[in-house]
Amino acid sequence: MKKIFPIIMLGILLFIAACGSDSSGESTDDAGAEGETEAAATETASGEESGDSNEKQVVTFWHSMGGAGQEALNAIVDSYNDSQEEVQVNAEYQGSYDEALTKFNSVAGTDSAPTIIQTFEIGTMSMINSGSIVPIQEFIDADGYDMSGLEENIINYYSLDGTFYSMPFNSSTPVMYYNKDAFEEAGLDPEAPPETFAEVEEASKAIVESNPDMQGFALQAYGWLYEQLLANQGALLLNNDNGRSDTPSEIGWSEEEGKSIFNWVENMVNDGTFANYGTNGDNMLAGFLAGDVSMFLQSSANSRDVIDNAPFEVGIAFLPHPEGKERAGVVIGGASLWMIDGKPEAETDAAWDFMKYLQTPEVQAEWHVGTGYFAINPDAYEEQVVIDAYEEMPQLQVTVDQLQATTSSYATQGALMDMIPEGRKIMETALESVYNGGDVDEAYNTAVEQFNHAIEQANAARGN
Amino acid sequence: MSMHSTAIPATAGSQIHFDKVKRKQRIKNFFKGMLFLLPSIVLFGVFLFYPLVRTIYLSFFLTDAAGNTTVFVNWENYVNLFSSPVFLQSIKSTFLFVLYTVPVTIIIALFLAVIANEKLRGIGLFRTLYSSTMGISVAAASVFWLYLFHPSIGLLNMLLEAAGIDGVGWLTDPAWALIAVSITTIWMNLGFTFLILLGGLQSIDSYLYESADIDGAGYFYKLRRITIPMLSPSLFFVITVTIINAFQTFGQIDILTQGGPVNATNLIVYSIYREAFVNYQFGSASAQAVLLFIIILIMTFLQFKIGERRVHYQ
Repeated sequence: MKKIFPIIMLGILLFIAACGSDSSGESTDDAGAEGETEAAATETASGEESGDSNEKQVVTFWHSMGGAGQEALNAIVDSYNDSQEEVQVNAEYQGSYDEALTKFNSVAGTDSAPTIIQTFEIGTMSMINSGSIVPIQEFIDADGYDMSGLEENIINYYSLDGTFYSMPFNSSTPVMYYNKDAFEEAGLDPEAPPETFAEVEEASKAIVESNPDMQGFALQAYGWLYEQLLANQGALLLNNDNGRSDTPSEIGWSEEEGKSIFNWVENMVNDGTFANYGTNGDNMLAGFLAGDVSMFLQSSANSRDVIDNAPFEVGIAFLPHPEGKERAGVVIGGASLWMIDGKPEAETDAAWDFMKYLQTPEVQAEWHVGTGYFAINPDAYEEQVVIDAYEEMPQLQVTVDQLQATTSSYATQGALMDMIPEGRKIMETALESVYNGGDVDEAYNTAVEQFNHAIEQANAARGN
Repeated sequence: MSMHSTAIPATAGSQIHFDKVKRKQRIKNFFKGMLFLLPSIVLFGVFLFYPLVRTIYLSFFLTDAAGNTTVFVNWENYVNLFSSPVFLQSIKSTFLFVLYTVPVTIIIALFLAVIANEKLRGIGLFRTLYSSTMGISVAAASVFWLYLFHPSIGLLNMLLEAAGIDGVGWLTDPAWALIAVSITTIWMNLGFTFLILLGGLQSIDSYLYESADIDGAGYFYKLRRITIPMLSPSLFFVITVTIINAFQTFGQIDILTQGGPVNATNLIVYSIYREAFVNYQFGSASAQAVLLFIIILIMTFLQFKIGERRVHYQ
């Protein structure tokens, strides 16, 4: 034992060193959350030091933007801090939306709670129910701030009975990315991407025929995409107008609408043109960039990343819809900023000032071009940065066009309920079982049953 | 007479007095003992017993998103669990996972420890290599395996395809995902298990082998009759710890599969995490946690009952 001890110590030392470099390598990846938190922690520490020395009003801002989004956000926060003397905003990365929300729930009401937290759209109902937030409407009224300049579809999602609870910030919708070079090789028109489910199937077959090493289409098993594909055919996710007129009591889509997506996927699985990446979006992206699959659905927030990194010409198209259905459009995805209750007035006022800064056309233009999220303030599209970027990457514009082509209805306003994260997982499981050759009817029926049970359970927990 | 009559109460009195002192002494000892135990009682109380009691309490309620109890539902959370195919699947996956990982880890580690125990030139290098996975964090190891398992650009599928075999959907095919996670786990646990077993081997007295040599015993006879029995305390420890670790696996699941595909790798701790921190159903999550506690308690009890009898302590 004595002899091996120093050797082991040496070994451990070497591998701790190796791990250190590993985690810094990961930090661009979602999976490396630990590394990122560390990095964020050091940033915060240095941020706080400079904040103390100038005696500025400190605002703590929790966000969930990793990778390119984090860089773009930090640039915006830095420019805000440099633009004035009174307020110091400390942006802290707190992991994914889920993780940040969990952390927030455990510190809500204490001094450790942030001033602003960024929360995903499906967390809207839980935030309102939590009682630890101040509706943004109070500041809008007190300040006489005009929200009508914001994108109409965004206003539709975030105002409930005419009240804004949170400040919209980063919004995206799903789009279909496709490989233009592969389309050309397969004899398809790269400027006319498939629009319906059947057209996607046909295009996939053509792709596989021309290049057996490439799959046609990939659909990440992601509940959000399922919701979007429902909305695009005008279907509701939850009854009672997607939970906007009353608390939902069961699912809102019909069997025909719900199953159309499953059948579509099953057809492609049977054709051998479907690429299964399970629930892992990063793998799907890597597969697309490596030329293993020619089309996939993903948030428009990734568009800048994809365009920059693809060694081929990337096309961006509208979300496909089933035959015989009008395209209804998409639901706003992304996140908004919430003002936390119980902070000193000076601090919330400073936070409100920062929120207003984020809405300005200049900031939104930078944000849109840097990430692919929308500009929530349409004036941003007139900015020179955006015009230049469109010149170079016309694909970015498709994401905006799709949003503006959306017809406003309960379906495209999106669903509101606190059990949606659970519902997403249920749909993901069902989709995955079809990807792996499972029976569509069985998978669909189980999913609907579990979905309804989850709604019941959530209502019961609130004592209804 | 008078002497007698006074003497009896006197003895009784001293008896009472003696009892009193004894009792006083006992109480004093008790408090003294408690004083020594206080630090650990406080620590265990705050970080172990209180959460335990709180978890049991929560498991009888429905909660809101912040974890406050809202409606008392009695045993309903438990009843729902046993009628939920998702939870039953996760119990099944957990046991399968233990079955896949524990024996393989120990057999490979034992093999490596035995060959690394030979006195050869440069053996230190191999000992370092074999124990090296101990120094790698779960997150780093999982990310590393995530790329190996990648369906199209991962090394494993590239090797398979080079050999003319179709690639496997390591993390997307329900038939393979649990095996893929098991491989990762075995690889990660190997270092620690190897180190403990090698330590156990090194502490076996060499005179046992010398006398066996004099008697003309062969290599495998010595292995079976000396090495394994003398190693049994280390083996027992390693088995217990590995089983408990396997039941509590979380990190690699979160990074590799998030419980998918089709819940094939939704091991019980991950299922608890999802229920509590994604679905915000703290009641049903607590019920799962209580069941996990009972399962581990039974497993450990059985091990001590059955396993420890075979352990040879020197």
